Amino acid sequence: MKIKAFLSATAASVALIGGAAQAEVSIMYADWLASLVEPGIEAYEKATGEKVEAIKLPGEGYVERVALDLASGTASDVIQMDSFVVSELASAGYIGALDEQLGGWDQYQHYLAGLTEVVSYNGNVYALPTDTDVRMLWYSVPVMEAAGIALPWAPKSWDDVLDAARQIKEKTGIEDAFALPAGTKRGEATTMQGFYMALLGADVPEAGRNRLRDWDAGKWVGDSPAIRRTLELYKTIYIDEELGTQSLHYTGDVDSNIREALREGEIGIVASGSWENGCIFNCEGTDLSQAERDKLVNWAPWPGSGVEGAMATTNISGGWAIGLNENADDKDEAFALLATIFDYGNFQKWTVENGRMAVRTDISESAEYAADPFLARATPLASATTGRDTYPGYQVVSALVQQMTADVLDGVSVDDAVAEYKAGLIDEFGEDAVMTYE
Amino acid sequence: MSIRSEARPWLSANFGLVALAALPALLMIAALTYFTVWVFTISFTDLGLVGTKSVNWNWVGFDNYDRLINRRGFLESLWVTMVFTFFSAIVGQSVLGFALAALLRTLQLRLRTCLEIAIMLGWLLPDVVAAFLWSATTAEAGLINQVLLVPLGFEPVNFLNELALPVVIIANVWKGTAWSYLLFSAALDSVPREVLEAAKVDGATKWQRTRRVTLPMIRSHIGTNTLFITIWTFTYFPMIYAMTGGGPGRQTKVLSIFMFEQSFKIGKLGYGAAISVAMLLIVGVMAIGYMRLLKEPE
Repeated sequence: MKIKAFLSATAASVALIGGAAQAEVSIMYADWLASLVEPGIEAYEKATGEKVEAIKLPGEGYVERVALDLASGTASDVIQMDSFVVSELASAGYIGALDEQLGGWDQYQHYLAGLTEVVSYNGNVYALPTDTDVRMLWYSVPVMEAAGIALPWAPKSWDDVLDAARQIKEKTGIEDAFALPAGTKRGEATTMQGFYMALLGADVPEAGRNRLRDWDAGKWVGDSPAIRRTLELYKTIYIDEELGTQSLHYTGDVDSNIREALREGEIGIVASGSWENGCIFNCEGTDLSQAERDKLVNWAPWPGSGVEGAMATTNISGGWAIGLNENADDKDEAFALLATIFDYGNFQKWTVENGRMAVRTDISESAEYAADPFLARATPLASATTGRDTYPGYQVVSALVQQMTADVLDGVSVDDAVAEYKAGLIDEFGEDAVMTYE
Repeated sequence: MSIRSEARPWLSANFGLVALAALPALLMIAALTYFTVWVFTISFTDLGLVGTKSVNWNWVGFDNYDRLINRRGFLESLWVTMVFTFFSAIVGQSVLGFALAALLRTLQLRLRTCLEIAIMLGWLLPDVVAAFLWSATTAEAGLINQVLLVPLGFEPVNFLNELALPVVIIANVWKGTAWSYLLFSAALDSVPREVLEAAKVDGATKWQRTRRVTLPMIRSHIGTNTLFITIWTFTYFPMIYAMTGGGPGRQTKVLSIFMFEQSFKIGKLGYGAAISVAMLLIVGVMAIGYMRLLKEPE
């Protein structure tokens, strides 16, 4: 009896201490999103008098860190996450549905339905998107000029891209003529900015012919002509003709290194996305005018492979989101912080200043957004875009894709790399959930 | 009354007290083996980090172990780890550490102190900082190219692209040699001068004195040192990951990086656990080998 009393007293005091320490709301976010999150935190602290525990993390390894913290129960109350992990985190019960709270928030009506679908699971919304994006081929204007390539550059097929890269290498001696994200260290960038952008244009857009998943058949594509053509593209660039160096994608701080190199004219072409309009200079906001930026870097839409029937240009969109920990101490407080960050004044300013693609109609219809020359040119790409195959298990598929490109970099034949990929899919999902296109 | 019961007057009758006295030891053992048992258990599941398999996982028997052999990845990484460990721990750190310890003993005290500080600095530098310095030094626009190769008329080499594994091995030798140096320095100090002088009087050459007198006398130090640095190097992660992220391709993907990727990037905790168990067994076998070496010959 005495022991019981002692234990419950201890438990009570621990709970008290713990409770006191956790009274504040905590939030974790990647450093590059600070310009959206931090003014929101400031406004929230001013309005409520409460202190927010801000956990700012490096962008590299951020997705893994969030998953690990959630799995071990040490994650913050409010969490920034890549939109592709929302369904995985929700299916594990790590993050909470927001429907009830969103019903009481007057600004929710402006969110685009197609984008809230990406952050939904089983019909419930689990996070709010910060932005969406389109993908393109960025190039260094001085490098293109030095290589004698006519500007503005407008490649019509993979051959045009490879020809430009060959010309850059030959005329300027630049080793990284074309930086196509590859390997496991780049994580999702390899899958989205690299592999998937090529895959979409590698074959006719029918069912799963140019995708990782055949949604009609409900199966993952383990082998297809499009996958093989995409790997051949990697092989041409990194093995056969050495139009890019492999090590570029394995450095300590890959993104910063690539951006700096592009700015300095040490790289010709980089496969990346619309966020680079700001990020090449500074992700947290740059003072350079659009005209000054355009003198250094410009972009062209990703062309299709040139295979008959394939799309002329390709695009796939992703984006980030902010949601709430299912085990947040005070969900109302946590949601209040979320709503303050996404309050029109703060959110609109960030979206326009960073050239992000708007996720809300009240922002996209604002005069400042409509007047932005970069957004005016990039937004049409979003009219023919697609999303990734965020069926549960996508994260494993994406990792296997990254591994497949790493195998090709390692000198493994395309046949063997695809066979290994297919075997990996079967390990994970079973024979019945994997299909082949001849 | 027998002597036996006299010697154990009350303790033998009091099992509860014995159990209570053993409790701290049992708790200690439980704490030490907890993670190992846990990892061993989940290596037989398909437990995931996120998604439905983090909640509804299944027992999969030896599937994860089967994949260590039948899927690309583990064996390739094992080979990279072996090469990395052999060249950086055994050839590099041990041999170089011993050579430095033997050489520096013959130097003047002040010069010796200067060199010791220089050796120690690499060891004291945080891993990630060291990784950054090595990346910068071996880059195409880095020190080695700009100061050595280009002035001599060679084409600049992108070392991390062309020679990733040798570069991380050299970086790790540079960083880790201080430990072996310190240990061997202390060991050589413990060899009595009289014994060496006696051997000299008996006509033993310098090589014979090292081979037949010094080395046998510091045998246990050599064994301990090799055991430690082999284990450390076999499971080493930070500087390699910061320098090359395991790439390009799989060139520097040692087992610790492979396990990290499988467990936390792909989220296959079960498979990652199987890799850990395999690593544990391999290191265990190596440790037993070294322990045998440590034993005095009969």
